[in-house]
Amino acid sequence: MLSRRTLEAATAILTGAFGVAVVVSSLNNGIDWSESGVESGTFPFITGTIVVVASLYNLVRGWLRGKGIVATRQGLQRTAALFLPAVLFVALIPLIGIYVGAVLYLFGSLRLQSHLSTVRSALIAVVASVALYVVFERLFQVSLPHGWLGAVLDL
Amino acid sequence: MENFDSLMHGFSIAISVPHIALMIGGVLLGILVGVLPGLGAPNGVSLLLPLTFGMAPVSAIILLSSIYWGALFGGSVTSILFNIPGEPSSVATTFDGYPMARDGRATEALATAFGSAAFGALVGVVLITCLASWIAGVALQFGPAEYFAVYFLAFSSFIGVGGAPPMKTVVSLAIGFAIAAIGMDTVSGSVRLTMGVDELVKGINFVVAVMGLFGIGELLIAVEEELHAKPVSSTIDWRTLFRTIAGLPKHWVALLRSAAIGCWMGITPGGPTAASFMSYGIAKRVSPRRANFGKGEAEGIVSPETADHAAGTSALLPMLSLGIPGSATAAVMMGGLMIWGLNPGPALFVEQKDFVWGLIASMYLGNIVAVILVLLTVPIFAALMRLPFFILAPLIFNVCVVGAYSVSNSYLDVMLMMGFGVLGYLFKKLDYPLAPLVLAIVIGDKAEDAFRQSMLMSQGSLGIFVNNGLVTTLVTAGFALLLLPPLFRSIGLWRNARR
Repeated sequence: MLSRRTLEAATAILTGAFGVAVVVSSLNNGIDWSESGVESGTFPFITGTIVVVASLYNLVRGWLRGKGIVATRQGLQRTAALFLPAVLFVALIPLIGIYVGAVLYLFGSLRLQSHLSTVRSALIAVVASVALYVVFERLFQVSLPHGWLGAVLDL
Repeated sequence: MENFDSLMHGFSIAISVPHIALMIGGVLLGILVGVLPGLGAPNGVSLLLPLTFGMAPVSAIILLSSIYWGALFGGSVTSILFNIPGEPSSVATTFDGYPMARDGRATEALATAFGSAAFGALVGVVLITCLASWIAGVALQFGPAEYFAVYFLAFSSFIGVGGAPPMKTVVSLAIGFAIAAIGMDTVSGSVRLTMGVDELVKGINFVVAVMGLFGIGELLIAVEEELHAKPVSSTIDWRTLFRTIAGLPKHWVALLRSAAIGCWMGITPGGPTAASFMSYGIAKRVSPRRANFGKGEAEGIVSPETADHAAGTSALLPMLSLGIPGSATAAVMMGGLMIWGLNPGPALFVEQKDFVWGLIASMYLGNIVAVILVLLTVPIFAALMRLPFFILAPLIFNVCVVGAYSVSNSYLDVMLMMGFGVLGYLFKKLDYPLAPLVLAIVIGDKAEDAFRQSMLMSQGSLGIFVNNGLVTTLVTAGFALLLLPPLFRSIGLWRNARR
């Protein structure tokens, strides 16, 4: 269960932290007036400051006014069940490439989470990945990453 | 008259076999992304953008805009048949569309929606035809200060009348500006905000941001809320269909009012979503049939649908004539224009006549193609919705990963997209608006350049923004849009407190 108050606060802190990073980083570029006009850090400095101030406002308001629940435990579990394997898939791309990764990811998601039969899951996973290959590598000549595995197999 | 001639010239470009084929393909793809929750028009357009790099600009824009029309129509289909809005802008259509369909009047609901949508789109295109070149002509006189004032006006209207909590809109906008600033600064050549990551020197591509924010973000929300499709019958009865469309003119008050709201919200970047909600809200307050709203009242479908499409279409007016997109999807298309080597803004009307009028003519045709195709394919796409979402979600995710990578063959982009996905999820959950963020990423650099050039011209004096009548009016209007709504709200609160 996730309360609105917690999520409001967490998001405001996240956006505020981004704002602080922008402000600090823009100081390196200079925020003053020079011979060539406004220095290049000025605009980011202003936007960063706006982000920080507005985030503080949202933090206080979200904490004071935030009521109720924004996500149930089951809902969060479903989201995690989609997102975490997806993160793993993306993390493994440099190693096994997009095609092998996509086959494994789709097969795993369909078989384990959607409880499709093994044959169906494998079929959808392979067909989808082959379709990707045909569309990108053949039709549009866009080479997708083959990963370390691809290099080893010399694809 | 000159506009009419140009439009006819545009038709001669748009009516060709390859272009009609692109329209049909684009509309079908658009209906697909519109029907699928978790994939929307901005995302559909950005997924296809990398594939248009080799095309002629006019063909590319016909393809992308057709996707947009298809998505706008597709979103309404699922709203009515499944009570699941395929697009955020068709949420308001569910209020009366689904009850009507549930009562066994699905054909009537769909026909009402498509008929009023087509009317809204037509009003939008006519508006563009009549006004675009005139506005562009005025805008050709603009200097940097006027440009910055127009940008300021656009952003203020987002904050003031966008409908989302104002401070959340401010955060969304300012983050967009900061993201736009990442990478090489176009004026001084110095590198900004890369936080030590060398690859960020080229900046963050807006397509990657859109895919994460809209694609992954919506996917996560859709999975969390576990959409249950409870479909009603989706067979089309042609006789009812034609009778309903023939009977639409009796809602002429609602049609005209909603089209006006839609055009206004499309030109000031409120976007289709805000337009459809606003139109439904106003109809509910002023319609003589307001007691039936929410129970399957035709006017409750006419109002949001007309405004949605009028806004979606007229959002291209400021994009073409000023270089300021009126909606998130228009922002993505404008990014495409820049990639194809065109410079969106008033000069387009002088330098790229074929492109501009080809596009405008294709908007007439594209919407006709969209109405026909959406009617023919309703049963097919309705069947697609019966697939469990848990099977579709990994496939959509996979398409997004490949799409993000193919933008510039960069693995970093895929990781950025995941990050934007989390941000999109948080923002959607907490009512932060996403359109201002995308808009700021796309035109942030231009707004900044306009500001810095104005400052150079005035040697650092802000007086340049009140220098002449035009710029003063624009800046004043911007401040009015920014400050008046909260002022009225606080006066209202204060009055209520005194009672």
